[in-house]
Amino acid sequence: MGFELNGTTYETDEDGYLINIGGWNEDVAHHLAEEEEIPELTEKHWQIINFLRGYYEEYQIAPMIKILIKAIMKDMDLSKRDASKMLYELYPAGPAKQACKIAGLPKPTGCV
Amino acid sequence: MSDTPMMDELEKGPWPSFVREIRRAGKQSATARDLINILELSYKDKKTHWKHGGVVGVRGYGAGVIGRYVDDPVQFPGVAHFHTVRVNQTSGFVYNTKGLGEIMDIWDKRGSGMTNMHGSTGDLVLLGTTSEQLDPIFTDISQKGWDLGGSGSDLRTPSCCLGPARCEYACIDTLAITRECTNYYQDELHRPAFPYKFKIKVAGCSNDCVASIARSDLSIIGTWKDDIRIDQDEIANYVKGGGIDIMKEVVMMCPTQCIDFDGTKMEIDNSNCVHCMHCINKLTKALRVGTDQGATILLGAKAPIVEGAMLASVIVPFMKLEEPFENLKELIEALWEVWDEDGKNKERIGEFMERMGKGEFVEAVGEQLADGECGIEMTSQIDMINHPRENPYIFYDEYLEEEG
Amino acid sequence: MAEERITDQGAKDYKEFLHPVMVKNYGQWKYHEILKPGVLVHVADSGDKIYSVRVASPRLLSTVSIRFFMSVADKYCDGFLRWTTRNNVEFLTDKEENVELIIKAVNDDGWPVGGTGRTASNVVHTQGWVHCHTSATDASGIVKSLMDEVFEDFTSENLPGKLKLALACCLNMCGAVHASDISILGIHRRPPKVDYHLLGQICEIPTTIAACPTGAIRQDIVDGVKAMKIIEDQCMFCGACYTACPNMPLADALNDGVSIWVGGKIANARSKPGFTKLVVPFLPNNPPRWPEVIDAVKKIIQVYKDNGRKWERLGEMIDRIGWAKFFKLTGFAFTKYHIDDYKLATKSYNMSAHVRF
Repeated sequence: MGFELNGTTYETDEDGYLINIGGWNEDVAHHLAEEEEIPELTEKHWQIINFLRGYYEEYQIAPMIKILIKAIMKDMDLSKRDASKMLYELYPAGPAKQACKIAGLPKPTGCV
Repeated sequence: MSDTPMMDELEKGPWPSFVREIRRAGKQSATARDLINILELSYKDKKTHWKHGGVVGVRGYGAGVIGRYVDDPVQFPGVAHFHTVRVNQTSGFVYNTKGLGEIMDIWDKRGSGMTNMHGSTGDLVLLGTTSEQLDPIFTDISQKGWDLGGSGSDLRTPSCCLGPARCEYACIDTLAITRECTNYYQDELHRPAFPYKFKIKVAGCSNDCVASIARSDLSIIGTWKDDIRIDQDEIANYVKGGGIDIMKEVVMMCPTQCIDFDGTKMEIDNSNCVHCMHCINKLTKALRVGTDQGATILLGAKAPIVEGAMLASVIVPFMKLEEPFENLKELIEALWEVWDEDGKNKERIGEFMERMGKGEFVEAVGEQLADGECGIEMTSQIDMINHPRENPYIFYDEYLEEEG
Repeated sequence: MAEERITDQGAKDYKEFLHPVMVKNYGQWKYHEILKPGVLVHVADSGDKIYSVRVASPRLLSTVSIRFFMSVADKYCDGFLRWTTRNNVEFLTDKEENVELIIKAVNDDGWPVGGTGRTASNVVHTQGWVHCHTSATDASGIVKSLMDEVFEDFTSENLPGKLKLALACCLNMCGAVHASDISILGIHRRPPKVDYHLLGQICEIPTTIAACPTGAIRQDIVDGVKAMKIIEDQCMFCGACYTACPNMPLADALNDGVSIWVGGKIANARSKPGFTKLVVPFLPNNPPRWPEVIDAVKKIIQVYKDNGRKWERLGEMIDRIGWAKFFKLTGFAFTKYHIDDYKLATKSYNMSAHVRF
């Protein structure tokens, strides 16, 4: 599984996550967003992607969702409930399934 | 010779066979047919052939679907995708044939025809479908008024015993509490944002048929504060009937020895009753739970991983629970607030309480509740523990300074 | 994209799904009796009665069988049925004459009736090799093999008290089976083998290190790349690291198997609820019928039948006669693995001179 972009081949797993996250770039993000039926990555989308990538770079882990939501509350001046709503409006399949994927983070290992 | 000798073997014998079930589904589903094949291979290899993880879902939700892929999709294309859909069951697992039929029709059309009735947490589990079918399944079930349950780090689908719908022991409306906790907290259930999972189970009495004390972070167990109701005429009937030796099977088995029985008349020292249910279980016609009813609320049950297994322990010795259960919601939200603030990733609330110390935890929840409208007071209480501490390493909050 | 999407409806209203007699007498029940194994009658203050017929299921059910249950419910129960926590189906009717008809209908399709009172319960269990990626054993195969052998203990009241059976295929214990009378628990016995291929790309190293309860995972550098290593002496095979990181597989056909635990309890009746204790540390996976496991469980049940007093649960019986005698009666070997060495292990030491000779 995988896709080709600007002459480079990117391998993905069954769920569409990059196998080699080191290969991520902005074009890859746009491509993955399209696959997820997110037609356009807006400024707000990028705010979340940048937060996720920054956090990952600093701690080598994806943030807990509550930390992501707190960051949105602060950056966008929203209540907790509205921050969660915003997150799902931007990434309808959820932060774990879509936002982490598009941001090029490892596939979350959620609880079974 | 059969390709699946070990599966064939498990179709024999008097107990209902899961193999017969999968083969019944296999008459119309290639997925179910390959499930038998992959299972035969697992029996041969003595190991699982399911791959780790799988992150799939439906739009708008971060929970309710578990992704699963087989490790050899070429040889077993039927189970290349084998995702699970958790449908929120009804309170008390009650159904009529119309409602259940709706789900069966959808599942025959869009899945393997195999189910778990029910999953460990309580959901009606539809077992085995493909990524492409997930959104259509969700659309179909929601049009019939059904919804998905929880998964991941969220509120898991609450569940309960049959309670007042059929049982004379029920001290609380388990079904109503469960539905209210489910429907009031839909966002928490469908969009994971907790440190880790949070399970709620509601039992009508301390027989705990739904195993809440072992299986849920928040265990709500019905109880009463006044006296056990005694019908002395029925006691006399039990004595006459001779089917039970009241002295041996009831009086002597009372854990606090609080029953007096002179061969005809029974008296109970209710101030020493721990509400264990034994006498009431044995003399169903003569003894009934009291009428000043409510619940004992316990916190923190979990399986071993990571810090060791725990049963839930008392956090509120007695609470009245009546619709719309505002006091319960206020308590739940205070617990979440404290846990959410400082809980680590994948730390259950029981582990969090252990790390913080139950005394400190109770104090923090008490501070949250102090701002509430229901006037719930939470302070350290002796019913929260078996006995006072044995070890003298006490974290005193303060000490005095010499003056001047 | 623009279609009307219904979300967050929550659970359906249970009131739609209650038998009319249950709606009428909601919260007004007076007493119940077990008429025979698997058949209950609940009597309301009004005098109304509802009969329940409890039928075993293997939890894994096809839509074909569920439709069969629905046809029975339509015929005899005004279309109402329910499931229990321990995976039984219950048929509910207010007509006494329907009880035997329900039993005949389900028996004819191979479904036994029982599981109430002093019987062996249906088995609460996990998914095993049918669906799970962390399992150390299968669930359904062992359950089927066990219940084929102790079938009569489900359908007749042969036992001193209730005997609740449970199985979990790994230490994650979906369903918290460790509070049943007898628990069968799948275990791994070999440390994970770290798969270095794209390790740092696929797994979060700090999360994986933090997942280990004993701190047995350390950061490492392999070929100049951040990786992890396992201090094997400190691994107790819980699998928590594998849950966090797919590159830490620990399933191993040679070493995976089953352990057996007894004496747990959920009900508060008489003694407090409590966990099971270890009696058999390891038995091999021997599909399709796991004979060693079934023999061990049957031995335990026989000792309970021979020594338990009326209403006494297995754990209560052992508390009365002592663990030493229980091991003697069952013939299981006592080993160093039976002595706890994790947190709070000292709580299980015999800090007394109480010894039976």
